[in-house]
Amino acid sequence: MALLEIKNLHVSVGDREILKGITLTLNGGEVHAIMGPNGTGKSTLSNVIAGREGYTVTQGEVLLDGKDVFAMAADERARAGIFLAFQYPVEIPGVSTSSFLKTAINAKRRAEGHKEIDAMEFLKLVKAKTKELGMADDMIKRPLNVGFSGGEKKRAEVLQMTLLEPRVAILDETDSGLDIDALKVVSDGVNALRSKDRAFLVITHYQRLLDYIVPDHVHVLVNGRIAVSGGKELALELEAEGYAKYQGAAA
Amino acid sequence: MKPAAGLMEHPFGADYARRTPAPADAMLAAFRDQARSVFEPQGLPGPKNEAWRFTPLRALAKVPFIPAAAADDVDVTAVPAPVAVLPGAARLVLVNGVYRADLSDKIEGVEISTASDRSLLGHIATMASVPMAALNASFMGAVLSLKVTKAATTPVHLISVAAAGSQPVAFHPRLLINIAPGAALTLVETHCGLPGQATLANPVTEIRLGEGAQLKRYVQVAEQSDSFHLAATGIALAKDSRFEGFHTGLGGALVRQEIAAVMHGTGAHLELHGAYALDGHSHHDFTTSIDHHVPGCSSNQVFKGVVGGESRGVYQGRIHVARDAQKTDARQLHKALFLERGPQIDCKPELEIYADDVQCAHGAATGEIDADHLFFLAARGIDPATARMLLVEAFLADATERISEETVRAAFTRDIQGWLSRRSLKAAA
Repeated sequence: MALLEIKNLHVSVGDREILKGITLTLNGGEVHAIMGPNGTGKSTLSNVIAGREGYTVTQGEVLLDGKDVFAMAADERARAGIFLAFQYPVEIPGVSTSSFLKTAINAKRRAEGHKEIDAMEFLKLVKAKTKELGMADDMIKRPLNVGFSGGEKKRAEVLQMTLLEPRVAILDETDSGLDIDALKVVSDGVNALRSKDRAFLVITHYQRLLDYIVPDHVHVLVNGRIAVSGGKELALELEAEGYAKYQGAAA
Repeated sequence: MKPAAGLMEHPFGADYARRTPAPADAMLAAFRDQARSVFEPQGLPGPKNEAWRFTPLRALAKVPFIPAAAADDVDVTAVPAPVAVLPGAARLVLVNGVYRADLSDKIEGVEISTASDRSLLGHIATMASVPMAALNASFMGAVLSLKVTKAATTPVHLISVAAAGSQPVAFHPRLLINIAPGAALTLVETHCGLPGQATLANPVTEIRLGEGAQLKRYVQVAEQSDSFHLAATGIALAKDSRFEGFHTGLGGALVRQEIAAVMHGTGAHLELHGAYALDGHSHHDFTTSIDHHVPGCSSNQVFKGVVGGESRGVYQGRIHVARDAQKTDARQLHKALFLERGPQIDCKPELEIYADDVQCAHGAATGEIDADHLFFLAARGIDPATARMLLVEAFLADATERISEETVRAAFTRDIQGWLSRRSLKAAA
């Protein structure tokens, strides 16, 4: 069975239709990239799958392991295995990164019928993973994302992904605001998570990220529809020629 | 007794005075008589009194209070169980304002006396501008004087228990705290009550800090949901003294904590913070007045509250900087978070600055829990109730983190967490 199936998805914000019939199937082990010009519905797609409010699904469905995603609240979707890596992770003053991580890990453990993680095990786990991601030890003591640089915020997102072991990870413009070194670290973190039980939906405006996270499939989203799909070479073609010819075709 | 024209009727008239036990000596009798001559013509402050506009006393005025000392059916044999045990602190227990040696610990390093410290009484809490000080002085019952002449190593935990018998009771205790030059004290106060008829606690505290003295005073008001608490505190700070205060409001029908501090000596510093969490019809009022009378003093205030149900939170903060008080640094912040629609917040900063070389800042904000924060936490699998609890705790932590005594900070934080978890259970039911 496919991990994530998006079938004829139509989504509106207010009176405006943003997504006009998206169909996409992600199987275990696959990395799909969604590319496209700004304002074409890329972030809408990630937000609506993750369960952000303010979007109306007018047609179609999204299934995770065959289960209706829209029947679940955002937190239930996350516990069922959907992970959204935010383009702009929010800063939450007063909530320490470590207590946030522990709460999130335990929410998932409880949902799966496991006992809560003990303090020692948690520290050991987090220490090992932060080291892998080249993060400072004291980062988890700091309030979540507060005062983090762009690169630190994205590393923190990958750390959360690593700890929560999702079924489907959606990366929303993860490359934005990253310098080349941070981009490498973040990509290495993502690549380390690639497995046959997990799928990735990588949303990006630029080809650059796809040099590091190499996709199996590339889809071009223009004006709320997938204009063309192909292999990783499609990304290179877009880099050279731009989106103009697909925008023309869709118009 | 009929009140004068235009005054609200209230239970604190001639009959109440008659039932109040006679003062211990002629000096106290004169003090009370003088106070009644101030209180009687003005009565309880009404809505036309600007300082009381947000805190109406109509409901309180209708309760048929009798003096607690006149109630012969009050029986308190233990400190109520929810009162936290503070490790290392010595307990000082008052029931309806009266010191109870049988429930209190022996306290070393602090002179405790039930005689009044005449150098303080009536000198620091002024009746003229503070109606609750006038009410207290008119019917003043027990007086407790605390004197510290060196750095006291044991923190004092004063526990004030309000308890009524078959009738609502009121009591008007006075606490006089004298910290000698160079001395220091940590004082925690818990004001609570037993279930039953309504109570009114009307404590007045007068604090004098000598040169280089230090007082940390952490006050927790957690009265029963139908009870009242109208407190007034006056603080006089001498040169280079340091005061750190924290006030919480977690329960009670109507609570006002009024704190007035005057900087009398250069280099004095005051930290005054608070946190409140209100629900139901609870009404809490924090009214502060900081008088920068001399140059080179600093004061800093951060008050944060969360409000739900149909509760009401009030913060009034006055800062006065006298013409000569150059190099004053005075800051003030009040922020409130609405848990739903229904509660009300009133905030009134008042800055009167007559000196020109000063740094003064004030800020006020109210809002709801940030939807982006909630979504971020949901996207990590955290359910909405837990997410809200994390965010509200974090909001209040900005105030509670300022409590420099770790055990007190932990105890106050636990009480807030307890309030939050009870509330979210209630919301889920």
